[in-house]
Amino acid sequence: MITTLFQLAWVFLKIGTFTFGGGIVIIPMIESEVVTKYGWLTHTEFIDAVTLGQITPGPVIVSGTFIGYKAAGILGAIVATVSVILPSFLMICLATEAIHKFRENKMLANFLRGARIAVIGMVFDAGLSIGRSSLVDTTTVLIAVVSVLCLFKYKVNPIWILVGAGVAGVCT
Amino acid sequence: MDPQKIIEHADQLHQQAQIIAARSKDAEGQQLADKLFQEAAGLFEEAGDKVKVDQVNRSRVGLYRDRYLKGQAKPAKRSATKSFKDWLMFFKIGCFGFGGPMAVFTLLQDELVHERKILTNKDFLEGAVLGDVLPGPVTMDIVTYTGYKLRKWYGAFICTLVFILPSFVIMLGLAMAYDKYSVAPNVTTVLKCLGAAVTGLILSVALKLSKAEMRDYRELCILVWAFVSSFIFELDIVLIVGLCGLAGMALYHSDSEELLQA
Repeated sequence: MITTLFQLAWVFLKIGTFTFGGGIVIIPMIESEVVTKYGWLTHTEFIDAVTLGQITPGPVIVSGTFIGYKAAGILGAIVATVSVILPSFLMICLATEAIHKFRENKMLANFLRGARIAVIGMVFDAGLSIGRSSLVDTTTVLIAVVSVLCLFKYKVNPIWILVGAGVAGVCT
Repeated sequence: MDPQKIIEHADQLHQQAQIIAARSKDAEGQQLADKLFQEAAGLFEEAGDKVKVDQVNRSRVGLYRDRYLKGQAKPAKRSATKSFKDWLMFFKIGCFGFGGPMAVFTLLQDELVHERKILTNKDFLEGAVLGDVLPGPVTMDIVTYTGYKLRKWYGAFICTLVFILPSFVIMLGLAMAYDKYSVAPNVTTVLKCLGAAVTGLILSVALKLSKAEMRDYRELCILVWAFVSSFIFELDIVLIVGLCGLAGMALYHSDSEELLQA
């Protein structure tokens, strides 16, 4: 039991340290660790874990909670979740402090100015990529158009858009 | 009635109000003083004494200035309740952040920048830069970053905790149910519709952000380059952010006056 917890902590600390960008990128790496190496889950269970991670609110990385639970019960779920969050938590805090300190540095300010624009560009890319795979029929196109209108023109709270789309999905 | 007597009475009221205003520290006393000032001003007006009316009004203005300064001087209490509300907001987003990281990105931008004005668009995007370059899901990184900006380590800890708690609890519940009945819900249509809504969400947030950040052709160049390298060349995120940062260093090298606000 204790060994499993330490293994869980180690695996998820590793995963938490190397998950750059979105959560999806890291999934093959998690699979090779938890399915092939340690055998905490079967392959089917792992796929279900990832699916559940996608439908539950919050980052996909919460699939770790599921995996931890399968491996070592509730304690395992806690250990896995904390370990997967910890590395990025520490790094973000330190980086925020560093940015704050070197605010007056002109090179850094200009670098950040360029990098901020890069984020917008990547947000556009994310929108189109998701759109390419999810806009498949009239219903979905309609939902997308209505959400852009509601959000950009009428400033509706986006939570309602998500709830509405979820309800539409359940009904159809 | 004799104007002289009215003026005397009003003078008394005025003095009384000044004493109350000087002594009382709470809102109730201030209100009482304000009422007396008003009464005195009314009586002076009735008696036709313009100079005295002016005097009373000046004392009233002084009262408001004091109250305003007092209000400014104690923001600690207000910000405590305010930050509690902010934590509640992170909890709410944690509960409703269906549909993947980019949906949560939109929710956060809406709440932090537009609703609560905790961050400017610029701060928000900087959080996103950190989230993109450093490991971990971007949305959680933004939450941690906001928390750290608000209250250092303590804030970062609380914000991350309340943000992740709903997903953790829901996931744990699902895992238990799965373990017991070994069925996963069939969610294909729900996921499909959510995907469509998320597309709309993302595009609208991208439009909002570009509207806020675009100042001249240089921003546009970087934006197009970032989009193309991500959409067509499919470069690594860290590489895109790094290159655009370098481009920023080169392009903005010459202007210095905007540095402080930019």
